[in-house]
Formats: sequence, structure tokens, C-alpha cells
Amino acid sequence: MRGKLWSTLTAYALAAVLLLMLSHALLRLLPGDFVSAHWERGDALLDADQAAALRERFGTEESFSGYLSALARGDWGCSLALEKPVLDLITEALPWTLLLMGSAHLLATALGFIAGMEVAWRRGSPLEKGSVAVMSLLDGVPELVSGLLLLLFFSLRLEWLPASGAQTAYAELAGGAWFADLLRHLALPLLTLVLADLPGNFLLARGSMLLVLDAPYLETAQAKGLPPWRVRYRHGARNALLPLVTRFGLRFSLMVTGALVVETLFAYPGLARLLVEAVGRRDLPLARGIILFSSLAVLVLNLGVELLYRRLDPRVCHGH
Amino acid sequence: MVIDSRRRLGNGRLRIGGGLLALLLAAALLAPWLSPYDPQAMPFVPLSLPDGSHWLGVNDAGMDLFAELLYGLRNSLAFGLVGGFAALALGVAVGLMTAWYGGAVDAVGMRLADVLLAIPLVMPLLLLAVLAPPSPLLLALLLALLSWPSTARAIRAQALSLRNRPHVAAARQMGGSTFYILGRHLLPELAPLFLAGLAGKIRMALAMEVSLAFLGLFEPGRKSLGQTLRDGIQYYYLDIWWHWLLPPLLCLSLLILSLTLLAVGCEALFDSRLREG
Repeated sequence: MRGKLWSTLTAYALAAVLLLMLSHALLRLLPGDFVSAHWERGDALLDADQAAALRERFGTEESFSGYLSALARGDWGCSLALEKPVLDLITEALPWTLLLMGSAHLLATALGFIAGMEVAWRRGSPLEKGSVAVMSLLDGVPELVSGLLLLLFFSLRLEWLPASGAQTAYAELAGGAWFADLLRHLALPLLTLVLADLPGNFLLARGSMLLVLDAPYLETAQAKGLPPWRVRYRHGARNALLPLVTRFGLRFSLMVTGALVVETLFAYPGLARLLVEAVGRRDLPLARGIILFSSLAVLVLNLGVELLYRRLDPRVCHGH
Repeated sequence: MVIDSRRRLGNGRLRIGGGLLALLLAAALLAPWLSPYDPQAMPFVPLSLPDGSHWLGVNDAGMDLFAELLYGLRNSLAFGLVGGFAALALGVAVGLMTAWYGGAVDAVGMRLADVLLAIPLVMPLLLLAVLAPPSPLLLALLLALLSWPSTARAIRAQALSLRNRPHVAAARQMGGSTFYILGRHLLPELAPLFLAGLAGKIRMALAMEVSLAFLGLFEPGRKSLGQTLRDGIQYYYLDIWWHWLLPPLLCLSLLILSLTLLAVGCEALFDSRLREG
């Protein structure tokens, strides 16, 4: 099913080079020279110093190798609207996105996996049928719909949870209060992302466990008189885990769209919101930097998952 | 027995999903006749509440919200259909080709699929949007160009197993051309599978359009369910949620629901056919 390791590595390397070339070519696709491309369509007005800096930058970035070495040196350009280095802005926003996306993704995968296992074990019960029906209907509901409904209900109607931001501004909280404040702000965006991610994981885990349930080795394990949880998790779930690992990687690239919507909707100060703002202001260097950074990050994560899969599944690493 | 009940269930889902979708499709198609006003005209009192002449009230620019809903539904659905159909066509073509020819074609096609799956879909679309608000048609086609791999993988896996079945081998022995076998044997047999894929793809393209419109990446004047939500959310402090935000949300949910029902129904149909065969 999967190709050899070297061909996978080449494919990923090719994708990375493609992304780099695309981001390099971007500003050259626009009509006019480098400075007018930055300036004409943007909202930011350049003064003489900025224009001179851009022209100088254009000189060093002219060649692809010059562009690459600038990136490697950590010189990702300067945001036109915010007038800060792109890399600083990215490192400022990244922790929030990692917190939100990471916890949502882990939570949705773990919950989906465990629920899928348990439900598959109770094959044919009303619980199974009901939960499969509910999850099938929830699957594919866009983050915009669930997020907006949650926002309307829990923060605007009931006023239980804050509607925007990641912490209360100027509150200067510390310790436990700070943490509680953080969680309260995290709750709704997190719930939205989990709702979008969970049904797919649940259905996949259930389907893959149903296939495992018919395998002879489970009957053997039961016949040996092993306790049910041991049969379920050590013998069954372990083998049903593999498709979920694949999905874990693939979901990253899909979740980016969700992150854009959720961070914008709840005004969460992460990378996705920064990107949406940069695109709205036609702040080319910032938008290009974030797009390049996040695409490469997702690519690396996917490669990591791919390598992990090879470690987990002996059928792949022995080339069957 | 099992097959019968399964098939009936599948058909029930197909019927409800199909009916819902047909209803929404009709509303979108008939928008110019159903709509009481021109959606771009803004002669009304901004932010007025629903009454007899404006069923859903008026937005901040003085446009009728019911007209906006109909035209938004029309644009969003059109984007979903174009993006979905194009992605499906590409996916089915690549899936069949890779399964049939194998070897280098298979290796290149599937590696390309891996790469595309590993890159976030929206990023190339956003790159385009930074340059200039892109045309919806171009965006839908670009989305299709990026989102065929999942269909191609599913089709390829099934086509591989079909390829070795006796009737296909027989058709080959009798000198049937590749085109004939792919078109007359594989394509019809995989139909429920790729119809399920089609519903899924349309759903994805629709969700993408609404999300991108909500993020403000299209021309602001273009009607879309996402654009209506984007405009409405700015006035959350007024009591507008029930006539401004809820109708497009409901419309969107029903659309997604109908497509999900269609996809699940088609999958059940395909499943039962596999069990029979």
C-alpha cells in the first residue's frame, strides 16, 4: 500500500521545494516592480525609508538561493502594516495556535478512539446505532455553523463564557485564577474544533475495530480466558489504531481551515487570525511568511506521522 | 433479510436527503423569481426588523435579507457543485488510471496524492487571495485541483479489486479496449461509491466557500451564506441573531444534512451490493 521510504521522502522534499518556490514567485507574479507590488494593493502607505529597504531587499531576494539563505538566516521580512519582523509576529502567535489546535486534535483523537472502540464492542446495540447515527450527522458540519451556534448560545445568550480573546485583558491574574481564565477562554473554540474532528475519528475507529473483531486472534485471546479489557485494548484496539494514525496526520491539513474560522470567530490571538488579518490588509510579507511557515510545519508533522506509522505497522516496514 | 432491511434504510436516507437537496436547489435556481427585491438594491431603512414586506428584515446597508439569503444560497451552492463535480471527475479519472495501468502511473499518481494531502488545502487559495480577491470560479477549480486525492484513493482501492474479477478478465480476453472496460464495467459498478464521494466533495467545497466568504476573501459585494454571517456577526450586540444569523445558519445546516444523508445512503447501497456480489 505504501511506497518505499525513499520515495515518500522525495515526495515530501518535492512538496517543500514547491512551496518555497511558489512563495518566492508570488511577488514576481504581480504586475509592476517589487515595491509597487507591495504598495499599490496594500493598505499600508510606505515612506521613503521603507521603499528603499524594500528595493534593497529585492536585490538580495532576486535569486532563489538568496531567498533561501535569507529564510535560513531567520530574515523573513517585515510586516508592512504592523511594522515588526514577520518571524517575531509568528513566534508571538504560535503558542496560542499550538495550545488550541494541539489540545483539540489530541482530545478529539483520544475521545473518538475510545468511544469508537467501546461502541464497536457493543455491536448491534441501540447505543451503537444511536451514536453512529448522531456522529454521521455531525460529521462534516462546518466549524462556522457549530462555532457560531455555540457563540450565540453560551456567550451571547447565557453569558457563561467569554466571546473573544485568549485571556482577560489587563486583568493581571496569576496562578490558579490565570489558569481558570485561560480555560474559560479556551472552552468554546476548543469545543468547536473537537466537534468538527471527533465524528470522523469515532466512525473510523468503530469501522476499523469492527474489522478487527472478526479476526481469529481475538477469539484466541478470549478463549485463553483473558479479561475483556485486555482483549479489547491490548489485542483489538492496538490493531485498529493504524487507520487513526494516518488520519491524525491528514487531519492537520484539514484543520487549518477550521482554525482560520474558529480563531477569527472567537478573536483568538493565534497564527490563523494573524493570517486572516494579513490577507485582509494585503500585507504581503506577513501573509506569505505565515502561509509558508504553517504549510511547512504541517508537512513536517505529516512526515513525522508517516515515519511513526512505519514503526507501528510491521507490514509496512517489511514491505508487504 | 439483512440485505433487504439495509437497502430499505439506505433508500430512506437517500429519499430524505435527495428531497431536501432538491428543495434547496429549487430555491437557489428560482431565486430571481422568488426574491421580492433586487439583492443589491439598498433603498430600505438599514437594520429594520422583519415585517410583512421584509420577511427577514433589512441589513446594515439597507438590503433585504430574504433576497440576500436566496442569492447567497445560490452562490454558495453553485460554488459547491462546481468544486465538487470537478474534484470528483479528477479523482475518479486518476483513481481508475492508476488502478488500471499500475506501475509508474500508479507510483506517480499516488505520490502526488500523498503530497497534496499533506499540504493544507486553504493555503494555496489564501496565497491567491492575498494578491487580489479571486474569481469564485477560479477558486472552485483550484480547490478541485487540490482536493481530488481522497476520491482517487478510494476509487483506486475498489477498482484494483474489481480489476481481477472474472467478468473484467473475460471482457479483457475478448479484446475489449481499456476505454470500453473502464467506461462500461468499472465506472457503472463503482457508481454508488463515487456518488457517495460526490456528495462528500460538494459538502467540502460548500463548507470551504462559506468559510472563505466568512473570512472575507471574496469581493464584499458578492452574496454568500458566509458573507451574510460575516456581516451579521458585527451587530451581535443588537438583537439580530434570530432573523439575520439564524436563517443562513439553518440553510447551511440543512444543505450539509442533505448531502450527508445522500453520502451515507449511497455508501450503504454500495455496501449491500458488495455483500450481494
